[in-house]
Amino acid sequence: MLLVVNGTYDDADHEDPGHPERPDRVTAARAGVADLHLGSDLVVVPSHCATRAELVRVHNSDYLEELSAFCYDGGGDIDADTFATFDSMTIARHAVGGGLAVIRELQRLDEGVGFVLARPPGHHALADRAMGFCLLNNVAVAAAALRAQGERVLIVDWDVHHGNGTQQIFWDDPAVLYVSTHQWPLFPGSGTASEVGGRRAIDRTVNVPLPAGATGDVVRQAIDEVAAPVIDAFHPTWVLVSAGFDAHRADPMADLQLTSGDFAEMARSVADFAPRAGRLALFLEGGYDLKALRSSVHATLNSILGEKRDVNELSSTGGPGKDQVRRALRERQAAVEIVLSSHDEETEP
Amino acid sequence: MNELRTIAVGYDGSPDSEAAVRWTFDLAKRVSASVTVVHAVGLLEHLEETFSHAEMPPALVAIAKECDVDGTRLRWFVDDGDACSVLLRAGAPPLDAGLLVVGSRGHGKRDGLLLGSTSLEVAEHASTPVVIVPSRDMESDASVASTHLE
Repeated sequence: MLLVVNGTYDDADHEDPGHPERPDRVTAARAGVADLHLGSDLVVVPSHCATRAELVRVHNSDYLEELSAFCYDGGGDIDADTFATFDSMTIARHAVGGGLAVIRELQRLDEGVGFVLARPPGHHALADRAMGFCLLNNVAVAAAALRAQGERVLIVDWDVHHGNGTQQIFWDDPAVLYVSTHQWPLFPGSGTASEVGGRRAIDRTVNVPLPAGATGDVVRQAIDEVAAPVIDAFHPTWVLVSAGFDAHRADPMADLQLTSGDFAEMARSVADFAPRAGRLALFLEGGYDLKALRSSVHATLNSILGEKRDVNELSSTGGPGKDQVRRALRERQAAVEIVLSSHDEETEP
Repeated sequence: MNELRTIAVGYDGSPDSEAAVRWTFDLAKRVSASVTVVHAVGLLEHLEETFSHAEMPPALVAIAKECDVDGTRLRWFVDDGDACSVLLRAGAPPLDAGLLVVGSRGHGKRDGLLLGSTSLEVAEHASTPVVIVPSRDMESDASVASTHLE
């Protein structure tokens, strides 16, 4: 069973003509869901406008007020990448609310997989700042809500860009494990392997930076060799995925070489980290080539739902990055040791 | 106060950032410091490269010549990220800038708004001293450069 958020609030008014983060993305992703032909196994979950109480678990109050005022004043460019319109705050709150609604429905049904098909994306949004097309951090608010219920939340971020906002928000939170594979160097510039979490959350951040040209086999190696041992030790009770599809080889925003078949394989691996049915939800992040987005969404969900393999694009192999993955493993182990030893020194009487 | 060896100045091609660069070149000559001109590569710039990573933009070369800056003490540095994050990193290795200089407004900012203001964000979060060079509009309004010197 697939639970998809219904964009009950039209996102079309969050648009800046010519900007790649555009309403057509949701249309393409919806088409990818429709291609599954799920019939009654597709459950549409209405979103709601996230409340202030839900947002302040993650975002600074002053920032929320400032963003609201900016939008109601007509909006404009927030930075060189990020825009807002009169309706953007309301639309962004519905994107966040959609994630919360899917989580609640999964909890109620105790089965199925959630897909938060909403925009704007969220993983670059910091506690107190919009950036990288993101206004509010959708996945972070959902993780914070689960964390408040005592859950242990794994966030896997396979968007081609590092989710600096999500990492920052949970940097020192031992109940949330953030794992990211991403191209590096690339915007936003963070996400080195030596970033391993704050003093209270050592080893709760896992970054595997990958070189331009990396293929699916390299990403799978990153998950298997670097992330999986940490995830297994963490024992997550929930798995949330920042599912960007801009690592696809056709995407104009970056230079990884993944195919829709690679997303299908990654999805299978990540789904295995969920402790049981009804504990996995995916959040749409990037993905700017509409054809690739549609096929990748389809392949991902098809794979998670246990359907037949996606045959449109086979998984990719042979790109650079295997050495970088091994180096990332060594660098993060060394960084964990350093943080632990400095922590020991400070706590000695 | 330690000797000021390197000054980093943000540049996005806007008139305000050019004013910041001119101010920085002038200060650098007075205190015999090196200058690193920093440019942040955002998400959209991946679609269309605005500035070369390897070579300083011609407009900056012209300003440097006009200000009679010693080319051996001038560096062009391009880094991935939003302008605020990139400038804040300039205060740490490998750039190790002892002073950050920014224009009061970059591209696309609306007058009077705090949201998205790189200059204010940098001033708030930087661990190194920051100078915000006022725009010509502000100068004409008799506003004063906001400095945050440790």
